[in-house]
Formats: sequence, structure tokens, C-alpha cells
Amino acid sequence: MNNHAVEINDLSCHFGSFKAVDRISLTVEQGEIFGFLGANGAGKTTAIRMLCGLLIPSGGGGQVAGFDILKQSEEIKKNIGYMSQKFSLYPDLTGRENLNFYGAAYGLDKKQILARTEELSNRLQLAEFIDRPTLSLPVGWRQRLALAASLLHKPKILFLDEPTGGVDPVFRRKFWQILYQLAEEGVTIFVTTHYMDEAAYCQRISVMHRGQIILRGKPYDLIEQHRAANLEELFIDLIRGRENADA
Amino acid sequence: MNKAFMGLVKKEFIQVFRDKLMVWIIFALPIIQLLLLGYVANLEVKDISLDVYDFDQTQLSRDFVRSTEAGKYFTPTTPEHSVLDLDLSFREGSREMALVIPEDFSEKLTTNEPVTVGLIADGTDANSASLGSGYMAQIARKFSQDIYGLERPLKVRNRVLYNPEAESVHYMIPAIVATLLTIVTVLLTSMAIVREKETGTLEQILVTPISKGTFLAGKVIPFAVLGMIELTLALAFGVLWFKVPFVGSALLLLGLSALYLLTTLGIGLFFSTVTSTQQQAMFFAWFFLIFALLTSGFFTPIANMPQWTQYITYLNPMRYFMEITRGIMMKGAGFVDLLPQTISLIIIGVVVFGFSSIRFSKRTG
Ligand SMILES: Nc1ncnc2c1ncn2[C@@H]1O[C@H](COP(=O)(O)OP(=O)(O)OP(=O)(O)O)[C@@H](O)[C@H]1O
Ligand SMILES: [Mg+2]
Repeated sequence: MNNHAVEINDLSCHFGSFKAVDRISLTVEQGEIFGFLGANGAGKTTAIRMLCGLLIPSGGGGQVAGFDILKQSEEIKKNIGYMSQKFSLYPDLTGRENLNFYGAAYGLDKKQILARTEELSNRLQLAEFIDRPTLSLPVGWRQRLALAASLLHKPKILFLDEPTGGVDPVFRRKFWQILYQLAEEGVTIFVTTHYMDEAAYCQRISVMHRGQIILRGKPYDLIEQHRAANLEELFIDLIRGRENADA
Repeated sequence: MNKAFMGLVKKEFIQVFRDKLMVWIIFALPIIQLLLLGYVANLEVKDISLDVYDFDQTQLSRDFVRSTEAGKYFTPTTPEHSVLDLDLSFREGSREMALVIPEDFSEKLTTNEPVTVGLIADGTDANSASLGSGYMAQIARKFSQDIYGLERPLKVRNRVLYNPEAESVHYMIPAIVATLLTIVTVLLTSMAIVREKETGTLEQILVTPISKGTFLAGKVIPFAVLGMIELTLALAFGVLWFKVPFVGSALLLLGLSALYLLTTLGIGLFFSTVTSTQQQAMFFAWFFLIFALLTSGFFTPIANMPQWTQYITYLNPMRYFMEITRGIMMKGAGFVDLLPQTISLIIIGVVVFGFSSIRFSKRTG
């Protein structure tokens, strides 16, 4: 046992002969906000799905919340929250009905669900739309509901796969304020994003390319080391360089 | 009670009842179908003229003949021809049915021995022939129960002349109820999981610690409940509105229907676990439904099918359910009579649920 929130070694996932994730290793500390970057198709979602116990790795292994990825996926599930890249609340149910359902799925009783809904509703300012069908809600609101659903059971680690995709800048700022608060309370946050300003909010980041991690470190250290103007430039140069080398 | 299970069931019900079209499909359409069918044919027949050949000639046999007048379904008459020529009255068109009471009728009844009376019908009017035999079976059951408190010592053996294969619309009602129930439950469950795959909610469920068994049960039980409600409604409609005779035990029918539902739900569930889009699942479901209907004995009696097709029908749960509904409703079949069907349904149910459960995994890779 160790104290890392996430620790993986040589984790791989192959679809046939295609290596979607190719021997990645990383550690994430407790209470850290860890940014998981990479171009489309780099393998970020696939890696997260292995960490959350949704996908069986083809090779390598590791631990999440102190439990083995290969053997204890159901234990891991009790300790993590997951917001998938695809919106995953029931569109025909209201926000509250969704929360009731996911709360029950985590084994919470009615009283607990009620208390947590109340608490999260205040915190994420859901009151205005929690009783409307989620289908009709703007993306930013839906994402706050989805975040609430993944927080119901007070997870130690939160996996967020592009939580702010398609969300306007004001909402994004709000969303990140909430993430900061959570991190201060000790929740570890593992987040993917395509926005470089968001990446700059992370304590540490890693960049994936074609299934491999090609860069990792603290955002400002990386900018300095590579003498880049900003993260965006660093990211683009890096991916372009790789693609030219591959070609 | 398992909280996750209850949460899942509640969610399924909310979703079904929020979708107005769904409520229509599940509840209104089957009743409308039954209604249409019922009015296509006149399902109640009264005053069937009944030649009585009473070879017993005792107080008891006369009481039995009198009891056939109850409900005005039959009008007992004195035969014009000998029992050997009883078909002459059919041909002359003066009578529709004949009842033959054996000479040991009262002797056997008083000593609690089973006894059988014969009922011969003119099959050219298939509707009254089958209705009449249903009424007679009910009358015979009531007679022996009222007088002796016995369960069916008095049996009726039917014989249909001229048109023995003819099935009246009336005979079709139990079959139609069975068909509707099958279609609704297979279609609903085949969508159940694959829809969540498409919308992405399945992934969100799989990342909770809910157990596989709880999840599958929570997905299926709501549709079992809906199916039972629908069955009860349709049967009540048939019996109360169209006066379909219901000879056997309603409780037995409901129990065996619940068992049957587990097989159709299991099959739907299996389709839902092996497919990745609702369209694929729909295709599988229709393919199965057509197969099931064709080999159920609904359209063609199984005995008239080629030998190899007859073997295939053993794989079809609907075949057994047809026998069960018709057996219980028309002939008053009891649990023991339906034991082979019951066992077959249990085997099919266990196999399909086993397959779905093996196919469905909380983790892929
Ligand atoms: N089940 C699967 N079978 C085959 N290939 C897959 C499967 N899932 C993902 N892939 C492939 O693996 C690669 C990595 O996909 P992944 O979704 O992990 O990328 P990503 O980094 O999350 O991209 P994005 O930024 O677009 O979300 C892609 O080329 C994708 O097509
Ligand atoms: Mg992705």
C-alpha cells in the first residue's frame, strides 16, 4: 500500500493490433488536480475507462484509491466519481430524479440522498433547474448536474473526462472554482481537457500522443523548460513535431 | 430490500409512464386489438339446441340436464333420431349439439369415480361448436362442485363433426392474448439495456458498485410487472366483455404466465446484451417474434407441421404458453396436466437468463 491516489505502471489497452493506450505510467497524489491532455484520439478516454474499472487492461497494472485495477475494480468504484465524456444523465428524467437514481445505485438511502442533493444543490447552484427534464437544459447546467451525480457518494477521487466541452467561459470559470474547492477538501481530481487555460489551472499535467505519454510536469516548469510562450504553443509544437517525425 | 434495485425499478417505471406513447403501446393497443377482434365475430352464442341422449335416466342425470339450461346457453331437446344417427339432426339443421350421458353416470358420481359425458358438435359453425364446448365444460365443473364439492370428477369429451380442425375466433382469444403479451415483453426488454448503451447512461451505471444480478433484475422486473398487468387486463376484457368461457383456475394461469414472462423477458434481455444499437435489437426481436408465432401452433396446428418443424417447436416457449392458456381457459387443465409445459418453460427460462448473464459483463476488454 502507498499513499498515491493513482499509480499505474505500463498500462496498455489494445483493440486488435491497434494500441489505443501503449504502456503508460503515472502517479497522482491525493488532493492533486491532475490534467490529462492530448489530441483527439490520443487515448485519454480509454485510459480513464481502465482506471475506473470499465475496461480490462491488455497489459500493465496499478492502483486507484489503494485498490488493484485488475482485481478490485468493484472496490475502486465505491471510491471514485466519474463524469464521462458523453453526457450520461437520463434526458427524460429531471435532475432530481437522476440524482435519486444514481444515489440509489451507489447504495445510499433516501435520507442520505435527500441530504446530499440539498447540499450539492446549494454548492453547485442547481436549485433553478433541478426539477426540469435534463433534455431541455443548456450544456453548462447539465454538466453541473452530471458533476453533482458523480459526487453524491463523496468519492475520494474524481475522474472528469472533458467536463467543460462545449461550455461557455463564464460557466467554465465557475466549474473550475468548484473543482478547486473540492481539491482543497482533499478530493483528488483527474481531468481531461482541450482548453489550455484550464490545463494551466492544474498542478501537474501529462500530454498523451498516440497512446503514449510524451510529456509531464508542472505547467509553468514545462513552459520554461521548452522556452514556449504559453501552454498552447508548447502543446501544438510538441504534437506537430511528433507528427512530422512519424511521417 | 436492496436500495439499488428499488432505485432502478422506480426509475424504469418513471420512464415508461412519462412516455405517453409508450403507455399507449403497452396498455391501449392490446385492448384495442382485442376489441376489434371481438367485434369482428359475435362471440356470445345463446340457445344452442342440444339433443339429450340420457342413458342413465336417474334423478341425478335429469338434474344435470336441467343445469345445462342455466345461463340460457343451451336449450335441451328430445332427439328425433337414434344415437347412432344423431348426425342426421345436424344435417337437417334442426340441432346444433348433442349430449350423451352414459348409463353409469349417477352410479359413478355417487361413488366419487370420474365419469365422462360426450358432447358432439356440428363443426360447420365452428364458433358455436367451440363456445358450446366451453360452456359445457363450465357447467359440468360447476355441477360436480356444487353437488359434491369435488374438483372435476365430471368430464366432458368433445367431438366435432364435419369440420374438426376449425378454430373459432373464440378459440383464438387466448392465443391472441398470449401473442400480445409476447410481443410487448420481448420488444420492451430487448430495448431495455441497449437504449442505455446508446444514450451513454449504461457507462454511468457500470461505474457504480451495483452488482450485475441487481442490475439485470432491476431491468427485467418492471417489465414483468407491466406484462402481468397487461395480461390481467386483456383476460378480464375477454371474459367480462366477450364472455369467453374460463373453465380453469385463473390463479394457475397467472402463475404460469409469470413463469412464461421470465422466458420472454430473458430472451429480450439477451438481445439487449448482445447488440449495440436499438435497431439491431429491434431486428433480433422481430426475427424471434415471427419465428415464435409461426411455430407456436397459432396459425397451423403443430400436429400438421412437417416432422422437423415439430422438433423446432419444442424450443419455442410460446408453444407451451399457447397450450397453457388454451388448456386452462377452454378445458380447465390443472397444474398436473400442464407439468410438461411448466418444466419446459423453466428450462428455457434458466438457459436464456444464464446466457444473458454470461454475456453481460460490467467490464469489457
Ligand atoms: N472500443 C474500441 N474499439 C476500437 N477502437 C477504439 C475503441 N475505443 C476507442 N478506440 C480507439 O482508440 C483511440 C483512442 O480513443 P480515445 O477515445 O481514448 O481518445 P481520446 O484521447 O479520449 O480522444 P478525444 O479527445 O477525442 O476524446 C481512438 O483511435 C479510438 O478510435
Ligand atoms: Mg475522449
